[in-house]
This record gives sequence, structure tokens and C-alpha cells, in this order.
Amino acid sequence: MRLAFILSEIGSGLRRNLSMVVSVILVTFVSLTFVGAAGMLQMQINQMKGYWYDKVQVAIFLCSDGSTAPSCASGPVTPEQQQGLNALLESPSVAQYINDFQFESRDEAYKHFKDQFSNSPIVDSVTPDQLPASFRINMKDPQKYQIISETFSSQPGVETVIDQRQLLERLFSVMNGASLVAVGIAGVMIVCAILLIATTIRLSAFSRRRETGIMRLVGASKTVIQLPFILEGVIAAVIGAALASGTLWAVAQFFLGDYMSRQYPDTAFISSGQTLILAPALLILGGSLAGISSLLTLRRYLRV
Amino acid sequence: MPCRVLRAMIRFENVTKVYDQKARPALDSINLEIDRGEFAFLVGASGSGKSTFLRLVLKEDRATSGAVYVAGQNVARISSWRVPRLRRGIGVVFQDFRLLPQKNVFANVAFAMQVIGKSRSVIRDTVPEVLKTVGLEGKEHRMPHELSGGEQQRVAIARAVVNRPGILLADEPTGNLDPTTSMGIMGVLDKINQNGTTVVMATHDDDIVNEMRKRVVELKNGVVIRDEARALYTSMIPVVGQSRRLKDASGRETPDGGLPGTGAEGEVQR
Repeated sequence: MRLAFILSEIGSGLRRNLSMVVSVILVTFVSLTFVGAAGMLQMQINQMKGYWYDKVQVAIFLCSDGSTAPSCASGPVTPEQQQGLNALLESPSVAQYINDFQFESRDEAYKHFKDQFSNSPIVDSVTPDQLPASFRINMKDPQKYQIISETFSSQPGVETVIDQRQLLERLFSVMNGASLVAVGIAGVMIVCAILLIATTIRLSAFSRRRETGIMRLVGASKTVIQLPFILEGVIAAVIGAALASGTLWAVAQFFLGDYMSRQYPDTAFISSGQTLILAPALLILGGSLAGISSLLTLRRYLRV
Repeated sequence: MPCRVLRAMIRFENVTKVYDQKARPALDSINLEIDRGEFAFLVGASGSGKSTFLRLVLKEDRATSGAVYVAGQNVARISSWRVPRLRRGIGVVFQDFRLLPQKNVFANVAFAMQVIGKSRSVIRDTVPEVLKTVGLEGKEHRMPHELSGGEQQRVAIARAVVNRPGILLADEPTGNLDPTTSMGIMGVLDKINQNGTTVVMATHDDDIVNEMRKRVVELKNGVVIRDEARALYTSMIPVVGQSRRLKDASGRETPDGGLPGTGAEGEVQR
């Protein structure tokens, strides 16, 4: 009975205050979309970092069947050449610059590739023998990349030496900047949303002050009096959060998934499924923001 | 002592209420007891402290000093989350009815039961019964604007007593009604009182007070100046109390020389 009563109160509150409720939905929608966009950018950065980014800085790719580099003219790397490179990495002249190194075989390379590009159409057209084996090196000082490069580029069986971090770091700093901008806009919008929710709840409480006055006099509990107002704000905010989650999903699905991954097939993009991880966070964030701001407003404007 | 407290439905012990430090207290060391089942009129000019008295009973305000007991409980000791329970034991009726305009008669009365979680079947049984008590049989589906003032006040009374409170507080319930209608309302209040509910009614209506011949507590400037059983609106003992005429005269005697009709300090206070 009481639940049915509270629900009907919420319904009438939402109907009476429709334009304000719609504006709360839109403002939470926009603000949470920006929050989610910042989250998506960070997820995209992680996706692009792949398996090795945080573990190593320098990769020494070994010659494979398909290598076209002049240093690989004599064909794919032989086990002896590989042994020699391993020995060289362990020799004191090189070892003083590196923390440690790992060997990535072709099969491992294929596995890591599949993980990183799982959302990309090119994953199906790549086979293990197209991917070179490599030594992955974790530098003591990433600035000393030049020394490793000079030492190993001329070694037999080495196709190329790449400082992977340098390639990605500039891009990542752009993306991190974009995340910060998104977070900044989201912050302003969230302040707007909180103020708007507070105003809406205040109006709602004012327009129903006759009812709440009577409820108070006949001894309705604080919960029964306040809950409809709080839930009114929470429902509006949760609808906004759901719209924001849907928008992020659509961006990942149609913009990144269909358009961008075709334009840039060699870049790993996040999948639309991954963005759904953000949805519960956005719903909880939206709901709790609305709940707290309604509660604080009611404390001031609705005597119980 | 506990026995006395229990017999008294409402008991004020040295209660003082100060709204504004600079002004005189709204209630000044009031000692008063209203027994279970009693019917008491609270009379006095505007600003004499009648409404403050009712607000203190409802714990809408806290007494500045002294203790207010309702049904044996010191209201100052009731925690805020249990105030609703206190208020369930007290029905309130106002001069301006305070009905919900978009709900019909039945729904207005049922509202008081819904918000405290009474089941639908209990509401269906109780509401018609209460409407019968206040003389509104067959008008369940009327909207408030379709009713006369007297009928609207009957709905408000029905709403106040539908949860069977031990106390009914009425703040000038006949203030907006003509004399004949007022007498009808008094009949309803009397009937509710006969059923065992303690009724405290603040009023300016001398005809009603004179007709009913119930206990009269007269307040002036926050002090009880008269407390008589089966009394009239104006005192029959001129030395102790003051007649209405005398009060008017004293109003004109105030230092700021207020115009007739503005003699009540309470108007200024609000």
C-alpha cells in the first residue's frame, strides 16, 4: 500500500513538473556523456598500448619470411643468429643499460596481436608467420635508446629496432589532453545538473507543499514524505545516464567500429561491448548525484 | 506525580516560548492541564498565544523553557524520527480547511490513512464510517469546490479523526463559517468529544463558546488570565478576568496608541 502510494506520488510529481524533469534528463545526459567520453579515451589509450607498452620500451624485430629490409637479405633469422643476439643482450656492455628483456616468439606475437586487434577486421587476415619474432627490452633509462639501436641494427638477423613508446607517446598525450578537456566540461555540466536538480526538487516540493503539510500533520514518516521527491530526481538522472550510456555505445559501435576501424585498419579500437563497462558507473554516478542533491535540498525546503 | 501526568492528556509545566529575544514571550510560564476526554476552548485576542500553544503540543516548535507533556510523554524527549508517531495521536483542523483540491471527499480522508500505510481494505471500511460521523454520507465522490464551507470543514474534521487520535486540536475551525453552519460544526466536534477524544479548540467566536458551556481557558499576552469550567466567552467575574469591552479599551491604551483593531501585538510579531 505504502509502496503503491509512493509510486503514485512519484508519477504525479513527474507529470506536474514535466518540463523541469526533461531538462534534468538532458543536462545529466550531456554531463555524463562527457564523463563517459573521458573514460572511453582512457580505454582507447589502454587498447593502443597493447601487451608490451607498459613493460618495455624497445623492440628488436627479427627477420622473418616476409621481411624486405636489406639486413634480412639472407632470409629469416637462424637459431644461431638468435643465440648470438641473446648473448649480446646479456653481455656487460649492453646489460648495463637494460633492466631485462624477453623473447617474443611468432606464436606469442600472434596471440598478443589477436588480443589487441580483436575488434578489427584485419585480425582474420593475419597468420603467425606474417608476424616477426622479437626481443622486447626494458631500458634502465629510456633516453639511451640510441645505444641499443646502434648496437643491434647492424647485427645479422635483425630487421629493425623500434622505440615503441616514442611512437605512441605523442598520440597519447593528445588523447590525455582531450580526456582532461572532457573531464573539465563534465565537471561544469555536473555542477549545472546538481543545481538544476536542486531547483527542480525545490519547485516540486513547493508545488506540493499542501500535500506534504497534511502528510506531516497526520504523522506520515519522513521517508514517506521525502522519498517521492528524492526518487523523482533520481529517476530523471538515471534516465539521463542511460541515454549517455547508449550514446557512448553508439559512438563505439558505429563511429569507431564501422567508420574509424575501416579508415585506420592498423589501429586497435575499443569495441562497443567495452563501453558497456562504463554504463553502470554512469548510472550510479547520475543516481547518487541526484539523490544527494535532492536530499540536501529537501533538508532546507521541506520541513518534516 | 506520574498519575497526574497520565490523567492529563495535555500538560504544560512552566512553559515559556520566546520567538524573538527582544519581544515579550509568546507564552509566559504557562501551567495548564487538559484531561483525557475533556473539551476546552482556548480564547484570547490574536497574538495572545493560542496558536503557539497548539504548535507546542504538535512539537512544531520547541518550548524555550518548561515541559510539555502529551499523553504522559515529554515532547522534548521525543526523538525527531518518532515525532510522526506523536502526530498520529493528534488530529488538527484549521480555519482554512486545507483540503486537497484535486482529490474528492473520499480521497481527501483516505489520504490521511494512505500516508501512514493503512491497507486499502481498512481504508475502504473506515472512511465511510467517519464520513457518516461528520454528516457527509453520500458525498464521497464530491470534489471540495462543489461543497459548502461547512461541508469542507466536515471533510477536514473527518480527515483529522480518521486515524482515531486521542486529541483533536482545532484552530478557529468556525472562523470562515456563518453562525448556523458553525453550530453544525460544533455538533460534530461535540460528538467526537463524546466518543472520548480530547478536544482543544482555539476560537474567537463568542456565540459558540457561550452556547457550548465548556471549559474556557483565556490567554492574554502569553499568560493564562482565566480558566473556568462551563464558562462563557467573557468572564462572569470581572475582577479576575476581563470583559471583551475592557480588552478593547486596554488595546487602545497601549503606548504606541494603536488604532482600534490593531491592538493585538501578535499581528506585529508575525
